[in-house]
Amino acid sequence: VSRRLAAAARTGKQPGRAVVLFPHGGAMLPRLSRAGMPLLLILPSLVLAIAIIIYPFFVILRLSFANVSPFGQLRGFVGWANYANVLTDPIFYGSLLRTLIWTVAVVGGTVLISVPVALVLQQDFYGRSVARTIVMLPWALSLAMAAILWQWSFNADYGMINGMLQSLGLISAPVQWMARAETAFPVEIGIGILVSIPFTSTIFQGGFSSIPTDIYEAARIDGASAMQQFRFLTLPLLQPFISIAVVLNIIHVFNSFPIIWVMTQGGPDNGTHILVTYAYELAFRLGRPGPAAAVSVVMLAIVFVFTGIYLRLRREDV
Amino acid sequence: MTRSASGFGRRLGLAAALSLPLAFPAMAARPETVRVTVAEYSNATGPYFEKMAKQFTQANPGIDVKIEVVNWNSLLQKLQTDISGGTNSDLSIIGTRWLLDFVKDGVAEPLDSYMTPQVRDRFVPIFLKPGTIDGKIYGLPIAASARAMFYNKAMLAKAGFPDGPATWDEVVAAAKKIKADGGYGFGIQGKDVETDVYWYYALWSYGGDLIGSDGKAAFDGPAGPKTLDLYKSMIDQGLTEPGVTNYSRTDLQNLFKQGRLGMVITGPFLIGQMAKEAPNLQYGIIPVPKGTTQSTYAVTDSIVMFKNSKVKRAAWKFLDYIFSKEPRVEFNKNEGFLPTTIAVAQDPSFADDPRLKVFVGLMPNAHFAPVISGWEDVAKDVIDALQSVYLGNAQAAPALQQAAAKADQALGR
Repeated sequence: VSRRLAAAARTGKQPGRAVVLFPHGGAMLPRLSRAGMPLLLILPSLVLAIAIIIYPFFVILRLSFANVSPFGQLRGFVGWANYANVLTDPIFYGSLLRTLIWTVAVVGGTVLISVPVALVLQQDFYGRSVARTIVMLPWALSLAMAAILWQWSFNADYGMINGMLQSLGLISAPVQWMARAETAFPVEIGIGILVSIPFTSTIFQGGFSSIPTDIYEAARIDGASAMQQFRFLTLPLLQPFISIAVVLNIIHVFNSFPIIWVMTQGGPDNGTHILVTYAYELAFRLGRPGPAAAVSVVMLAIVFVFTGIYLRLRREDV
Repeated sequence: MTRSASGFGRRLGLAAALSLPLAFPAMAARPETVRVTVAEYSNATGPYFEKMAKQFTQANPGIDVKIEVVNWNSLLQKLQTDISGGTNSDLSIIGTRWLLDFVKDGVAEPLDSYMTPQVRDRFVPIFLKPGTIDGKIYGLPIAASARAMFYNKAMLAKAGFPDGPATWDEVVAAAKKIKADGGYGFGIQGKDVETDVYWYYALWSYGGDLIGSDGKAAFDGPAGPKTLDLYKSMIDQGLTEPGVTNYSRTDLQNLFKQGRLGMVITGPFLIGQMAKEAPNLQYGIIPVPKGTTQSTYAVTDSIVMFKNSKVKRAAWKFLDYIFSKEPRVEFNKNEGFLPTTIAVAQDPSFADDPRLKVFVGLMPNAHFAPVISGWEDVAKDVIDALQSVYLGNAQAAPALQQAAAKADQALGR
């Protein structure tokens, strides 16, 4: 304790006093190190934040104004050239639009499906724990591995999806799912939804169990139908959980890289790029870390704006 | 970390704390470790290099060799990340087309000071040339191949071309017959690495070129739209496999092995795969179809030493070893590449192989990948244009012009 206090004293504004006054008793302690102690207590998280957020942020910011070789050597600074480069690239705007579609579709689809899934899993039925496990299982698989499995499943020549559709008589010839963005991108969105369901439905199950059961009893006595109970009781009470699920999923899905990269690498004809795969391709396939850093900064700005909007909406809600 | 002095010291300290007696032999021997990144050519690549590492260490007890096998599609990405972070291996296989970028950044070590004249004389000169930049040798040719057309004998005989098509007109005619019989005529690659090259075959055969003598993109010249329209018309008529943008080179080769594809252009490595996976399928190998001229693509992969390696002497010893005759013979047998050293080329198992002879005979007309900075940019621009045309999103001429304009920017960087 004394060593910690000494350290606190060192960082504090009145080191001499703190050390001198220490023997007089513990009651004085909070007041003495008013300046140092809080700083000391947040120091570990501050160091962590600097190391994993602020330092990389400045590195990226610096790279985004630099001419960087494919192997990371700084060849000098180029001002806004990297940004101009990116902002005049039509692929960037395609990716931006698709990022929006991707995020809205995956998050929206996930929430829409997860509510009924969680509702069903909340009911008491035979084999519920098995059903819960099955819904949870995709979570245990890494995204990249899940994407590879799906890539095989959607293979035109020997994938199980075409096989199944053909044996059901729904299609006569194999569908080339990944040959066109028009089919590949929706497939990727579908997989994005599928892998997000376990986490989201878990949040909702938690939400359901926090709703007291007696209000349903009261509603039933008043003659409310199941649909009315859902609309006027469950949904409003689930609202905070839906908000948190939406926010967490947006942050996650906006930056989600493995599914698209594994399945189509942004192709064919750049038709499935979202911003994060576009940035990755710039940096690591085309060897242009500078413009890639510029894309990252733009992405950060977008997330910032959306977070700002969200916080404002939240405040108005309250 | 293990190579740096402080890392070593820390490890030693830890070892001493854990078990003092064990720490001393480790310090006495101090084995050098050479890390080697190799590209996965086939399932045999990893085991082959592991075996070489083991044999080498037996002959050179002071040197450990660690092999890392990496998929081709992610090799450059991995190297760029590793080099940026300073965690790259000592030796690596790379596509020779990337070499100029490595040399420009001072990442690759020139090998001339290690190479005695005897070592230099081991190599087939034409394959040593692509790894030489400004008169210095930076990359040794670990693999070399040329491209030719493989055709399914039964399908082509039925289509009236028992010896395979000699020109693009004959390819189209044969593909129409094959289509009528329910097969896929001519395979066109539409995704992943070398999608661009698959079109260059036709481009070159009509006298077009990728980069002009002025160092600017030239693939949008007259031969460009002509040959791209040729491919597109084959796609539109259903003379290729459906959904070409869904087929990589490996996918096309698989269709060929299954006997569903009549014609495909690829490298000698398919010979070995056919022997293993489709031994009963009768096929022939002929030159890339002729347009106005006979041509093909020749490509080498290089093994380079990185400048930041701390064990260059040991790394060179390993290179010297894998380029001696026995290891080379085994490598070429496994992978089916063309011999890059004279001793291997003269070995009866290669010199007398009629199939390899087709490829060797094509070498005088072969185009190597041009030594340019930013090859991957150009490849990406071309692939984008090809895919948009294959998918019907763009017309050949404007798509190629746009790609050429973008490529010029990259070439000027």
